[in-house]
Amino acid sequence: MMQEARRRVAIGFLTAPAYVWLTVTVLLPLSAMLFFSFLTVAPINGREAQLTTEHYLTFIDKDFYRTLTWRSLRLGFDVTLACVLVGYPAALALAKHVKGRWREAIFLLIILPFWSNALVRVYSWTMVMREGGFLDWVLHWMAPDAPPFGLLFTYPAIVIGLVHSYLPYVVLTCYISLEAIDDSLMEAARSLGASTLQVFWRVILPLSLPGLLVGVILTFIPVIGSFMEPRILGGRAGIMLGTVIEDQFTTVFNWPRGAALSFIMLGIVLLIFAASAPLLRSRLKGL
Amino acid sequence: MSTVDVIGAVKRYGRVAALDEVSIRFGEGEFFGLIGPSGSGKTTLLRAIAGFADLDSGEIRIDNQPVGDRPAHKRDIGMVFQNYALFPHLTVFENVAFGLSVRGRPREATRKEVGAMLELVRLSGFDARKPRQLSGGQQQRVALARALVTRPRVLLLDEPLGALDKRLRQEMQIELRLIQREVGITTIFVTHDQEEALTLSDRIAIFNEGKIVQIGAPGEVYERPRSAFAAGFLGDANLFQGAVLDGRGVEVGGLGILRTADALPAAGTHVTLAVRPEKIQVWVEGLATPGADINRFRGTVRRAVYAGTNLTYKIEVGTHLVTVFEQNRAAHPLPAGTAVNVGWLPVHSVLVAT
Amino acid sequence: MRDLGIWAVRLYLGLMLLFLYLPIVVMVLLAFNRSPLYQLPIVWDTVWFQSLIHNDRLVGAGLNSVGLALVNMVIATALGTMVAIAFARYQFRGKAVLELLLFPPITIPWLIIGISMLIFFFWVGIGRGLHAMLLGHVALSLPYVIMVVGARLKGYGPALEEAAATLGASPWQAFWRVSLPVMAPGVAAAALFAFAVSFDQFVISYFLAPPGVSTLPVEIYAAIRKGFTPEINAISTIIILFSMGLMLLIARLYRFGGER
Repeated sequence: MMQEARRRVAIGFLTAPAYVWLTVTVLLPLSAMLFFSFLTVAPINGREAQLTTEHYLTFIDKDFYRTLTWRSLRLGFDVTLACVLVGYPAALALAKHVKGRWREAIFLLIILPFWSNALVRVYSWTMVMREGGFLDWVLHWMAPDAPPFGLLFTYPAIVIGLVHSYLPYVVLTCYISLEAIDDSLMEAARSLGASTLQVFWRVILPLSLPGLLVGVILTFIPVIGSFMEPRILGGRAGIMLGTVIEDQFTTVFNWPRGAALSFIMLGIVLLIFAASAPLLRSRLKGL
Repeated sequence: MSTVDVIGAVKRYGRVAALDEVSIRFGEGEFFGLIGPSGSGKTTLLRAIAGFADLDSGEIRIDNQPVGDRPAHKRDIGMVFQNYALFPHLTVFENVAFGLSVRGRPREATRKEVGAMLELVRLSGFDARKPRQLSGGQQQRVALARALVTRPRVLLLDEPLGALDKRLRQEMQIELRLIQREVGITTIFVTHDQEEALTLSDRIAIFNEGKIVQIGAPGEVYERPRSAFAAGFLGDANLFQGAVLDGRGVEVGGLGILRTADALPAAGTHVTLAVRPEKIQVWVEGLATPGADINRFRGTVRRAVYAGTNLTYKIEVGTHLVTVFEQNRAAHPLPAGTAVNVGWLPVHSVLVAT
Repeated sequence: MRDLGIWAVRLYLGLMLLFLYLPIVVMVLLAFNRSPLYQLPIVWDTVWFQSLIHNDRLVGAGLNSVGLALVNMVIATALGTMVAIAFARYQFRGKAVLELLLFPPITIPWLIIGISMLIFFFWVGIGRGLHAMLLGHVALSLPYVIMVVGARLKGYGPALEEAAATLGASPWQAFWRVSLPVMAPGVAAAALFAFAVSFDQFVISYFLAPPGVSTLPVEIYAAIRKGFTPEINAISTIIILFSMGLMLLIARLYRFGGER
């Protein structure tokens, strides 16, 4: 039985450091945040704090927070929908209609922006959307008498910026599951008399749904938690749950309330996961 | 040339016994085949001998020394894996030389031995190639050379020819046997291809559900299966069940009296007899009949399958559907519906179960 | 009719690529524009790049970013590779749970993770700063490293190490002479990944940056909030080209599908 003991030691040695690190940096902080959300004030600099549920109650009472959450959810929905409508066809085109070196090249081109600096990408959109920016310039080049045009600091600007950020990711997840569909399945459907539309609707779409779902969830969740993009692109029109939470820590300094709001957002996230857990787990294992 | 003894080996995975009190002796220089269906324990036994699976109880001895808890790298064995497991980042030369270089052999000696081994497997000149540049058959030979160059005491082969196509497999079988004879190493190999086991082995062992069902030379195990499972697993068998009538016959319902040369138990006992399809002759009514002292029945051809070298018939005899293999001498199979006689010698009715 | 379909596909993909790269191209072009007010048309000049060198804040932040990313790369790659090896070579109870625990860092919004770290570190006395950011970056990088190395290991299975053992190699020898070389491309790709994750990380760094210490993304964000200066275009151009270059390198080392 020496081998068994040695094996256990090996497994422990290999996994302990990483998981201790994760516990200290993710699990414990999340627990601390939960605890914090029930305090009256942050117990730093010698301040006394008591337990309270006021922050959670405020969320339920005040209309402001409800509309805020709703706005954030709507933003998530809009961005995800746009990403799917634009990204899924692109993934389909890449997986089924483009072959050889072009496929690899285009795929790489699509993924490349996704893995580069998100902040810079969002910033680059300001150069395009602001008054005096690229869009304005193009507009005036075509219609010189038009008034100055600026998309910046509007809700659509936020959506565009977020779509730009997450579109490659949706393309990626859809592409992976579409590519995995054997061509022979489509040929089999064809031989049984299915038209192109029917092949898509009854074979391709159902089989690619898991990948699509992964892309949807892993886009929706970061979007509802975003604050950088709404601030930079939306300004005053960009007040979302994420920006309000950020305020609690950088300007208002009401940490317990921020913690409570964060936990509510985390609750929403976990709910989404729970609802789609079976599909997600099996799909991500293969990723 | 070493002996390997397995004594009372038991290995459980959860509640399933992969090895259930297995004992067997592998003799010096023997080429021994382990066959059986998936999950029967043959691979588990091989891996236990190699040192990759701990036994729950029982012992393994090499040259009468127990190997105990000794890890795989100290057992002085050679192993060829199902997918060859060639090191992808090393050349053919480096792959074959690996076992030597790990033991610190000097370069000159290594070069000589690797060269000799590559020549033995007919891959001289392939030194600088990488595994991915080789065909399946070539990879297999490199794997073999790599396992043999350190002159291990035992050679273990885990379905070594499984990934090759039929023609290549047959070629490699011959080569494998030649090499083994020349080197003289005790070899244990696992396969699920019964034909392979029969052609290559000096002795075979049939596994089923963690136990050894029968051990013996191929001819012995094939001609005299001792259980219905062994009869059905190694080749095909027509099974007939009935009650013992007297010293030499069994009454089989829907057929008649079957005569056998085996010793039968007391009258009235229920037994099963097996008859191999190739032992049965088929002839049409009226033509010259073979000798009188045979089991002979009338039947009708139900199906005939033409396979070039042989013909397979399914013949309805009484209430039984009997399978017959015949050499393709006539070139035309008998058509379905033909009334025929089937017959075989009593010695080919094998008692397999009571 | 077929041709129309092919051209429609090409047009669609082309437009999408245009959408993805337009703002980046515009920004890069403007970085070379002499006008401080972003007025088009472009007058070529590298003045903003040159002024970057004198911008002490940006240079300091840049050094922090690179240093942090390097340390993160070493730690995350080492820790993550160990876990990937454990997952690939052993089956054990609780493995599924451990695998599940890798998801929070990449699926929970970074806003929440950053805030929770801020709260916890303050409470426990770790406070803010580069060391705190390092703790966070490694946590975020670990899942990616494990995934990348794991994918590489999956292609080769335990047979290679077993083969080495039958040839007489001790576990250490087998690791050094077989496992490590075979793993190498995957580990290299994972390392670069970890570097990129840290270098590009904004949210966590933002919350854990004390006054006076920051990384490049945090600095840029502050500059954007204060008001546009053309220097932002210049530093952003450098960053984005560097990021993309890094990604191309990773793609080389680790093709989706793996090299056999």
